[in-house]
Amino acid sequence: MLAKCVGALCILSASLWWSNLQIAKLKARVRQLEAFRLGLRLLAAEVGYTATPLPRALKQVAKQLGVESVSAFFQAVCRNLQEEKFSDATGAWLAAIEAKRENLQLTANDWMILSRAAAGLGGLGRDDQLKQLAAAETQLAAQAAEAAAAFAGSEKMWRYLGILSGLAVVILLL
Amino acid sequence: MRAGRPLILETDAGENFLGLKGLVTEPFQAYLVTAEDLHHILLQMTEFSLYARDEELKRGYLALPGGHRAGFTGRVVLERGEVKLLRDFNSINIRIAREVKGAALGLLPHVYCATKKRVRHTLLVSPPQAGKTTMLRDLARLLSDGDPQSGRPGFKVAIVDERSEIAGCYQGKPQLDVGMRTDVLDGCPKAEGMMMLVRSMSPQVVVTDELGRPEDVRAVEEVVNTGASVLTTAHAYDVQELIRRPSLAYLLKNGLFQRVIMLSRRRGPGTIEKIYNGAELSQWLQTEERNVG
Repeated sequence: MLAKCVGALCILSASLWWSNLQIAKLKARVRQLEAFRLGLRLLAAEVGYTATPLPRALKQVAKQLGVESVSAFFQAVCRNLQEEKFSDATGAWLAAIEAKRENLQLTANDWMILSRAAAGLGGLGRDDQLKQLAAAETQLAAQAAEAAAAFAGSEKMWRYLGILSGLAVVILLL
Repeated sequence: MRAGRPLILETDAGENFLGLKGLVTEPFQAYLVTAEDLHHILLQMTEFSLYARDEELKRGYLALPGGHRAGFTGRVVLERGEVKLLRDFNSINIRIAREVKGAALGLLPHVYCATKKRVRHTLLVSPPQAGKTTMLRDLARLLSDGDPQSGRPGFKVAIVDERSEIAGCYQGKPQLDVGMRTDVLDGCPKAEGMMMLVRSMSPQVVVTDELGRPEDVRAVEEVVNTGASVLTTAHAYDVQELIRRPSLAYLLKNGLFQRVIMLSRRRGPGTIEKIYNGAELSQWLQTEERNVG
């Protein structure tokens, strides 16, 4: 009997852990999208107000971001530029996307917007560069709103699903 | 470097073509510069950030670390008749800066009045590439540092470096030696810069180059009235050509410059051709005008 109880507890814990993981992923996506929005706004400020060159601007942005994984992305772009591995900033940005894709909870659409933000990066005049960053930020804002809505709508569902699926397995096995 | 054309290296000794393995004699052996090369070089020069150097690019040049410069040509984008930006670059001219310390020693006795311990208002005149800026930079350095042994004091020198040619500033820091008491206002329009410096830095000597626009001339007059000395340059082959420019003729006629120094590259850049006393030149110009009248 004791073994059955322990087994049931283990199954319930595992299903709860799984549901929490799904919730955390949804929450992380919202936080990361918001962090990317903030990053793009900060980058626009560096471009618009102080005309700071990209490597230094990206470093500044990375320093100011609270979300570690997003900060690491901006650091990676900065490093790619400093190491001069790429012929332009677009290449450096896209390479950072490839390198950091696994560490972030973003969807294909989110990545597509971030990839588009790299088009012409550093190769445009100040006004055009600002427009480009603002456009990407607006698109990310829409994604973030959608992600927040998805999170709010699915949080309870995942929680119940975790408990109920755990219970279902326990009942089936017992 | 011109897109689609051979890579050329120009030195004092003349013109050379550059191939992938070094100097070559014939243009067809030289490396053909591509538009991609130019774009890549430009991005490298701007730290992958064209927007950060918009103002310089608009004027067709970039200041580089070490005081070097790169000039550009390409497609000009206009906005309300003014150059908004330069795009689709088709050539880059990298100019290696050379500081010639002591180049202006020969000019110093004419520019500095030892009895009054004052710097004379001086105009250096020469055709392009005859060493005006090199001389001006060295004069600024010599006057700024002073020479305690000869009793020449160091002056507070202020440079308005509209095109970053005098001090070769990169990210605001002078890359060339312009003296220990020298303040540099980099990338600022001359007329505005001269007035800013006079108000904020109380300079004894104001240095700027390539005088020509009417507003520059008005600013020079203002600076002279504040008691600071003016050292500046103008493009011209001789005095006749100089006085054909109304704004400069006005300054010369009014005797604003105490010395007008003509330079050439007859015996190398910075050859002193003639030194005019400003008062005499002014008198001569006025007589000429009366005669014509």
